[in-house]
Amino acid sequence: MQDAAAAARLPGSGLAWLDAARSEALQAFAARGLPDQRNELWRYTSLRAFAQRGYAAQDPAAATRGVDAAWLQLPGVEGPRLVFVNGVFRADLSSLAALSPGVAVGSLASALRDDPEPLRFLLGGHVADDDDGFTLLNRALAADGVVLKIAAGTVVEAPLHLVHVGVAADAATAWHVRSLIEVGTGASVDIVEHHLGDAATGHFSNIVRDISVREHAHLGWTSVQQASIDATLMRRTHIRLHDDATVDLHALELGGKLARHEVRVEMTGARSRFVSHGAFILHGRQHADAEILVTHRGRDTVSSSVWRGVADGRARGVVHGRILVQPGADGADGSFYNKNLLLSPDAEIDTRPALEIYADEVKANHGATVGQLDEHVLFYLRSRGIPLEQARRILVRAFCLVALDGVQPQALREYCEALLAQQLPEASA
Amino acid sequence: MATQPEEVQAALSGSYKAGFVTNVETDTLPPGLNEDIVRAISARKHEPEWMTEWRLQAYRHWLTMKQPHWAHVNLPEIDLQAISYYSAPKKKPKSLAEVDPEILAAYDKLGVPLHERNKLAGVAVDAVFDSVSVATTAQEQLAKVGVIFCSMSHAIVHHPELVRKYIGSVVPQGDNYFAALNSAVFSDGSFVFIPKGLRCPMELSTYFRINAGHTGQFERTLIIAEEDSVVSYLEGCTAPMRDDNQLHAAVVELVALDRASIKYSTVQNWYPGDENGKGGVYNLVTKRGECRGPDSRITWTQVETGSAVTWKYPSVILRGDRSSGEFYSVAVTKHYQQADTGTKMTHIGRDTRSKIVSKGISAGNSQASYRGLVKVEKNAINARNHTRCDSILIGKKCGSHTFPYMEIKNPTAIVEHEATTSKIADDQLFYCRSRGISEEDAVSLIVNGFCKEVFGELPMEFAVEARKLLEVSLEGAIG
Repeated sequence: MQDAAAAARLPGSGLAWLDAARSEALQAFAARGLPDQRNELWRYTSLRAFAQRGYAAQDPAAATRGVDAAWLQLPGVEGPRLVFVNGVFRADLSSLAALSPGVAVGSLASALRDDPEPLRFLLGGHVADDDDGFTLLNRALAADGVVLKIAAGTVVEAPLHLVHVGVAADAATAWHVRSLIEVGTGASVDIVEHHLGDAATGHFSNIVRDISVREHAHLGWTSVQQASIDATLMRRTHIRLHDDATVDLHALELGGKLARHEVRVEMTGARSRFVSHGAFILHGRQHADAEILVTHRGRDTVSSSVWRGVADGRARGVVHGRILVQPGADGADGSFYNKNLLLSPDAEIDTRPALEIYADEVKANHGATVGQLDEHVLFYLRSRGIPLEQARRILVRAFCLVALDGVQPQALREYCEALLAQQLPEASA
Repeated sequence: MATQPEEVQAALSGSYKAGFVTNVETDTLPPGLNEDIVRAISARKHEPEWMTEWRLQAYRHWLTMKQPHWAHVNLPEIDLQAISYYSAPKKKPKSLAEVDPEILAAYDKLGVPLHERNKLAGVAVDAVFDSVSVATTAQEQLAKVGVIFCSMSHAIVHHPELVRKYIGSVVPQGDNYFAALNSAVFSDGSFVFIPKGLRCPMELSTYFRINAGHTGQFERTLIIAEEDSVVSYLEGCTAPMRDDNQLHAAVVELVALDRASIKYSTVQNWYPGDENGKGGVYNLVTKRGECRGPDSRITWTQVETGSAVTWKYPSVILRGDRSSGEFYSVAVTKHYQQADTGTKMTHIGRDTRSKIVSKGISAGNSQASYRGLVKVEKNAINARNHTRCDSILIGKKCGSHTFPYMEIKNPTAIVEHEATTSKIADDQLFYCRSRGISEEDAVSLIVNGFCKEVFGELPMEFAVEARKLLEVSLEGAIG
């Protein structure tokens, strides 16, 4: 996959521990390969088409590609901004001037050049059993990412803006981004992540994030995914919650040809709380795969997830939500609810909620449905003089809006609502 | 709970009441599996050539397969060369009066109304002892109306055209590892044929019992309900207490033609192993029904209290338009039992509907999983499914899991799944106790209420038995 010269170009190359970890991951990748559908976690997502495409290892001109700054704006998100173009951090497009005290942020590439030692614990680890082909590739090849640390007690007011942009390069490019985020004890921060792509780019972007939310800390994470319609997007987000930590996640999946998001939540701390809302709206031949695996380990932990899916055209939506309650996680309260709308005879939805419970003082429940719009409700709207097409749009929109519950700030929420409205399928009979 | 009533302690230590061994002379093939054994089984049963070939085909396919490990159970690699594939009581009975009294006594202990004098119970019984069917009651009466209810080996010899037409048509020889094994070596089982337009005048029932040590039981049951017919079939299972694990790999096929209805109920009480997880039956079963004709209906009801390992997914293929499939299940696990059970509903025809109700109760160190698949194929217009899975946990060391799969390819489908897992609510327990009901009784009461929806689906005699079984299973598990 990668020759020695290319490996030598990776930031931090020459650090013995990092080289060792990278080569171990590469070897493991050679042994394990890409996951196939015999792997239960990949049961409904085929990589056959993906595996046949070739990708350039990196975009050599990523640091200088022109990007319209106005494109990167998100309403209501005026805080510090970090921009990655084709996987490379762009200081010229980013704005880190207005950082509040207590916030240390930079790119992984520069952190590895300037002060790699603090990252050793996170990047120098051994290959784990649950690392699949993509995580292993990321371990071996990640060249950039965000390194963010919020000091204990810091309350960051303006949301941080993370932008991943894919623009046309000389060839379809692969990039591997690894981000390391720590929210210190008692700190609080909101992060808005935005994936953008121009229409013609068939990139493969492979993102792994490790997020640690310390005691009494709060993290709000809103992800708006509008990647190019030809892009392949693999993301894995590890979130670890310590005692009394809270995480609020929102995900809006609109773009990408093949977009998978694995959210793995470890609730190790007592009384920690994880809430997630998500939705995907798919057209054409899009394939989205949302995997939310929540593990309750601490006592009195609460998790709640609500995901919505809409599939039109020949699209396929996959949802896998698992709540795992480990022995000793007494007082755990987990719920996962997933509803889906199938709008076309050629679309498919595969949903798989799962409960794995190894403790008895728990409450765990899940539900999933697949269906279409309620005839009676449609009839009601039409009897009030609303044309069928509009009635359908109203209902689909309302169906998805649940995913935006709690999105802050208000301007961002309104923007997301507008995006949803745009994305709604042309009403078909 | 500090003290337990003595009778509860007694029940705990001896709660498996069917664990006796019956001393009957048996004709047993040497352990091991190869083509000669398959041929020997076939020869002993005087099977026609095509059946022997069919078995060999299955055997050859089986050789290419591997034991599956996807279920959420810890099932050791089973040494299939160490068990014997055929064990039959030596004395061949010619009529019911000649059935070995030891065997009759064994069934008496189990409460199976085998004797004609028990005909009043209104149940026709086929009893399978180890590998072979030992007696089938009420045959004459059934024959008069055209029902064929006999052992599988009898059917292969006397009704080959029916068997040949339907066997393997729902569960093909190579369907899965254990089904392939069963197809190669199946020894006996029940065969039921209900002719057109007939409502079967009585409940049909089979009792299975594994008796001999180091044997596997591989029965194969085939039920065919022709157009407009109705049948209800019950199945009960027990095994002696032995330290080594016994293997039970059955295949059940149901075929419902136009407007026919089949109700299949199981009370499974194989020996679950002792409180340390030693011994017990590996119950690895493939059960599948096909609603082949329009407006046909198949209902599976199961109460699973036994077996060390259960691996069982009674399924319905809804091929006929407007056909319906139902699955009601109560699975109780305790000690070190592991159960991975559920169902598969495959919607193919138009306007098909399915309903799944699964109740799991786990106690002790046991693990219980529900695994279900609801699949709506592209042309299954207006398919409906509702699934409800609830689990109760009793104790700190047990586990309860739910793995539903939903694969929907038609936009007119409505598929719903709901599941909850919790322990018995403290407020409910407290309420009962404040009314003077002991904790044991309160738990039993609450669990019974929890399972009521499923018990309601069982034929009356079985519902009573199931309730008793549940009580015995749960005694001493609380605290």
